[in-house]
Amino acid sequence: MTASSTPAMVELQGVAKRYGEVNALHRVDLSIAKGEFVTLLGPSGSGKTTLLNLIAGMITPSSGRIVIDGRDATTLPTNKRGLGMVFQNYALMPHMTVFENIAFPLEVRRLSKAEIQRKVGEALELIQLGHVANRKPRELSGGQQQRISLARCIVYNPALILMDEPLGALDKKLREQMQLEIKRLHAELGITMLYVTHDQDEALTMSDRIVLMNGGRIEQQGTPDTLYFRPETVFSAEFIGSSNLIPGTVEIGADGSHALNTALGRFDAPAPERAIKAGEPAVLLVRPENMTLTDAATPASVAGHIEDSILLGGVVRHFVRCADGSSLIIQELNQPGRSGAHRGDAVRAAWQPQHGRLLPPAPAG
Amino acid sequence: MAQSSSASDLSPWTALLLLAPLTAVMLLILIYPLGLTVWTSLYNGRFSFDAYVELASSTLFLRVLRNTFEIAIGGTLVSLIVGYPVALHLAAQPPRRRTAYLIMVMLPFWTSILVKSFALVAVFGNQGLINQFLGFVSGGTLNVPMMFNRVGVILGMINFLLPFMILSILGSLLALDRRLILAAETMGAGPLRIFWKITLPLSLPGVLAGVLINVTLSIGMYITPALLGGRQDMMVANLVDFYTRQTLDWTAASATAVALLILSGLLVALLGKVRGSAGLAGAGA
Repeated sequence: MTASSTPAMVELQGVAKRYGEVNALHRVDLSIAKGEFVTLLGPSGSGKTTLLNLIAGMITPSSGRIVIDGRDATTLPTNKRGLGMVFQNYALMPHMTVFENIAFPLEVRRLSKAEIQRKVGEALELIQLGHVANRKPRELSGGQQQRISLARCIVYNPALILMDEPLGALDKKLREQMQLEIKRLHAELGITMLYVTHDQDEALTMSDRIVLMNGGRIEQQGTPDTLYFRPETVFSAEFIGSSNLIPGTVEIGADGSHALNTALGRFDAPAPERAIKAGEPAVLLVRPENMTLTDAATPASVAGHIEDSILLGGVVRHFVRCADGSSLIIQELNQPGRSGAHRGDAVRAAWQPQHGRLLPPAPAG
Repeated sequence: MAQSSSASDLSPWTALLLLAPLTAVMLLILIYPLGLTVWTSLYNGRFSFDAYVELASSTLFLRVLRNTFEIAIGGTLVSLIVGYPVALHLAAQPPRRRTAYLIMVMLPFWTSILVKSFALVAVFGNQGLINQFLGFVSGGTLNVPMMFNRVGVILGMINFLLPFMILSILGSLLALDRRLILAAETMGAGPLRIFWKITLPLSLPGVLAGVLINVTLSIGMYITPALLGGRQDMMVANLVDFYTRQTLDWTAASATAVALLILSGLLVALLGKVRGSAGLAGAGA
């Protein structure tokens, strides 16, 4: 999945971080190509921030090697790594004006006054905030402050920009605007970006590639499409998008066709990418939008009754309680004249067998 | 919405009742003696400003006044120069070790200033540890007088002033968001630039608070110059003592005390203005 044609911007080789007895990060290998937008996605404690801090140089790895832009940076101090970083709390210098904040990295690089003037002006232009140059950060809104902190990064053209949940402190609408803004800047400037978030929507919206982290390990990585449509584990399936998971045991026919025997019946399913032996436990994943409500008893369908229906604007989500007590989610497009399904109605949740996906069961615990 | 129990909703009478005990105590122990002092300085059989006129033309008073400001400002500067690095080091420690170090910083507070002063003589005096050592290595020729002169007063004073300076600066340094430093590091800034451009400017409120507290405390210093200073190092408080106990001139003593109060009040106001907030000027008075 990693782009092998372009040279790597960041290369992690067997990088691990231990704090005493605790493994914050197990051996991780990761390569980020030049110009790529990679998101580290995962719940808190999954190791994504540890990984980011290792690349930033704020902590040193317990083992392994970090190469940035072809240079071994494993023990290089932060200020020698040539990075940019955007923080969740913006980390703008409160005693400096917006102009001085953006000029700071240029002063570090000993640019001439005229050069600084020009570059800061350009950066402010890029984020359309030229009119606030002489204000102090605290006089600006959260969204403006985060754009200033982006400009402060972009202005010195670092090879790699790290972003640590940069939009976490903003409200939903502003967050969506900023997602597009960051994407636009990435497309215009072609800077490699490594973005940390726990928000799956943000990861799906912005990334060229998502690296899903879980318990200090990389659970799965790939394009947003891959992670959404071809999750390899129950964790991936549940973390990205919503999912219906039906447990059972695998049955393999003489022709190699797969099926899952479950408490709700026997369902045909495509062969999994990673082979699961016959008779072994597995889980059948069907995305809610691939399920429909029907009356006909098709082979891939489960009987139940509607427990609740909620309207989410463009889509409707039904919660169906099955005979064995488990519950399924069915998501349908909302259309005028849609036949109303009512609470308590007996229905069947049906799907196309090729939309099912067999996954190895989640590890116990 | 204001809660019914919030302080702003107290009726004026309840507020007055709550403030009454403190007001009474302050009236008794602060305002009354102060008023009496001002009165004594102005009334000696008849009402006049003679004491102040005399003070303004007294070379003794003016010399003592100059001493006082020199010692107070000098002591504060030494305390700042010595204290800032200590505060910087403390701020960089993990919380538990910082607590241990802070206890060491506070230790002088738990010792009587009298005991500390004599301890300083044992170390810095003519027969003290340092001069004994100097005499030993120089074969008896070297003896640096460090007690009963200006150096002695400043040494004794910073021993008392330092904790106030360190704690004020430490407060500012701990309030400094560490991510600002990390951000500066990622932008390529070295430790020196980070100190000058970020740490120092952002710790200035603490520095100014420390300076203010130190100046205020040292300007009224009495025991230290009396014990560790020479005859040339008399401060205003010692002069007040001289008038009250040696010459029994209570009018001059009162006028001197009132002059000191006004002058230090002006100094505090000035420093408060530099700081750009009136809040601390009030707290330091």
